[in-house]
Amino acid sequence: MSQLFLLGINHHTAPVSLRERLDFSKRDLSETLAALSTRPACSEAVVLSTCNRVELYVRCDNPSHARAELTNFLSDFHGVDPAALTPHLYGLASNEAAQHLFRVAAGLDSLVVGEPQILGQVKEAYTTASELGCTGSLLNKLFHCSFAAGKRVRSETELGEGAVSVSYAAVALARKIFGSLTEHDVLLVGAGEMSELTAVHLRAQQVRRIVVTNRTAAHADALAGKIGGEALPWSEIQQVLATTDVVVSATGSPEPIITRSQVEAVMRARRNRPLFIMDIAVPRDVEASAGTIEQVFLYNIDDLQAIVSENLARRSAQIKQAEVIVAEEVSGFMTWLRSRRAVPTVVALRQRFEMIRQAELKRLEPKLASLAPGDRARVEDVTRLIVEKLLSTPTERLKELSNAETVHMYGRALNQLFDLDSSPVLRERPDDQAVAPPTSSVQKTPVTS
Amino acid sequence: MKRSSRGGRTATSFLVAATLVHTFIIGMQTTEIGHLPLVGTTGALSVFVWLSSIAYLYTETTSNERSMGVFIAPLLVALQIIPTISRYEVAVRPPVLESPWFVLHISSLLFAYASFSVACVIGITYMLLFKELKAKHVGFFYNRLPSLQILDVMNMRAITIGWLFLTIGVIVGGVWALQAQAEFDDPRVQAMSVLDPKIFIALLCWVVYSFELYARRSVGWTGWRTAKFSIIGFAIVLLNFLPVGYFLTRTHNF
Repeated sequence: MSQLFLLGINHHTAPVSLRERLDFSKRDLSETLAALSTRPACSEAVVLSTCNRVELYVRCDNPSHARAELTNFLSDFHGVDPAALTPHLYGLASNEAAQHLFRVAAGLDSLVVGEPQILGQVKEAYTTASELGCTGSLLNKLFHCSFAAGKRVRSETELGEGAVSVSYAAVALARKIFGSLTEHDVLLVGAGEMSELTAVHLRAQQVRRIVVTNRTAAHADALAGKIGGEALPWSEIQQVLATTDVVVSATGSPEPIITRSQVEAVMRARRNRPLFIMDIAVPRDVEASAGTIEQVFLYNIDDLQAIVSENLARRSAQIKQAEVIVAEEVSGFMTWLRSRRAVPTVVALRQRFEMIRQAELKRLEPKLASLAPGDRARVEDVTRLIVEKLLSTPTERLKELSNAETVHMYGRALNQLFDLDSSPVLRERPDDQAVAPPTSSVQKTPVTS
Repeated sequence: MKRSSRGGRTATSFLVAATLVHTFIIGMQTTEIGHLPLVGTTGALSVFVWLSSIAYLYTETTSNERSMGVFIAPLLVALQIIPTISRYEVAVRPPVLESPWFVLHISSLLFAYASFSVACVIGITYMLLFKELKAKHVGFFYNRLPSLQILDVMNMRAITIGWLFLTIGVIVGGVWALQAQAEFDDPRVQAMSVLDPKIFIALLCWVVYSFELYARRSVGWTGWRTAKFSIIGFAIVLLNFLPVGYFLTRTHNF
């Protein structure tokens, strides 16, 4: 019986030193997939490899064989000792594997819960595999369901809402004040790491101009070059304050660099346009009293941190709701999976009935020959309709069966009762039709997409 | 707004339904008397509420910004209570009002007031968001409102449109009053002057909003002060509608 299996390693189970050794870069992904699909234990495969996880999703006949084989595969491919690998690996089958993937796609398994990139990465992993012909009906359905789960979690919960890093929170605040930032200038005071990080986020918002100033001019030049801004002499802060709307200050200075009176002085020149100052330095670079000026929004590192922790708290409050959505999607997928088990029997049964109908029509041919063409067609319709009606309830019931045992039993009974063995379907069943009644053997065919 | 998007849609549907019913009623009154039911404060109030809800629905559908509805819907409901409970008779216009100026005068002013009411609501939301950002305790409004910049632009747009129609309405009213005084002996017409409370307050509104526009363009007023003024201006408009329209005016009460 073919089923779903997942072998993986992620940031919960392994340190980065191990994860980085197992990483499949995009370049050798096709090679990986090609190597994987030649392995006898698995017929469909998708490889999800991001900085936090490496996961192999396969369709296999026997999960424990698949586990052994995929472990070997990982250790061979990356040249890692299997003994060092095994304790960090997790292997999940069937609904647990589906649940895991859906949680991943929803961002529930991410380092920062709800981060948005992962859904795109899952999609990319699937597209790569599907373009190489490594996916079939099982993984196709599985991944499409996971996209649906990811999208639902994003649109129905606030799991991905709110900035969860200080530099992003700063950008979000700037946008709340100024709307689009394309018409605004940014001043970076200090050329440290925090300035750089915030500048990168601001750059992504397409701010008009980034000006960098630093006590040591060389550092300002270096950072300006790196982020595509302009370096300005330290002495010109006051002039720049009059034209810039967003100020990020992060120096190591023990004394305040921007005083209230300085800010007050530029407000007139600014014609009272709002000024957003982020003081992410400790000790603070900007006199706190500057924040009481009407059009000045002054945020220090604690204020930003408070926003971030509030957002994180809000995200974790949404986890429960997201898990419910994931559970719903998993159960939908499992229902589909179960209904698939009965498909060969249903097809065989239908073919059997159709065969009988055709045979009877043929046998009665001499009697029907005298009918007008219209009446003849009606006989055709009526007989088809009767067959449909007779089969509709059994078909539904078969598809609703949830237990593999029962499907098995029903299959056997129907086989006996209707002599389905003589029906062609069960003998030349395509690979995709999954589980068969015991009388026919599953034959393995190359993967189809 | 993700969490309540379904709720938001439902609320919008209710408002649309209510506006349609209101349209139907005003339509019935119009066919009954042969012109828009603008005569009398109560009728005018009803039309004003109707125009405001149309103006609001327009901004909502074009900006896809439902957050203002929380503020504007209760205001409209509160105002509409008066026409609803007063069971007023739809007044047919007296001969003095049978003039093409009448419809132009009243509908310009009502549209101006409707714009000011929208501006007021936007002003309130601006102030709430501003306060939240200043207090550095972002949350409720931060998550629900557009940026200060956008609110400011919307506010100025509503004020500008409102001011334009207010100007038209006042000028038409003035010209028409002069004509009417020459033609009719109705004491209400004769007594009409700038000292009439209703006219006086309309002019006061015009001064307030003109000053706001001027201060914004030439003095360099901030969004904060503009927002505050939008609220003050609308308070004066409401004053004209409610206490003045019902109790104070003696000459302008048609």
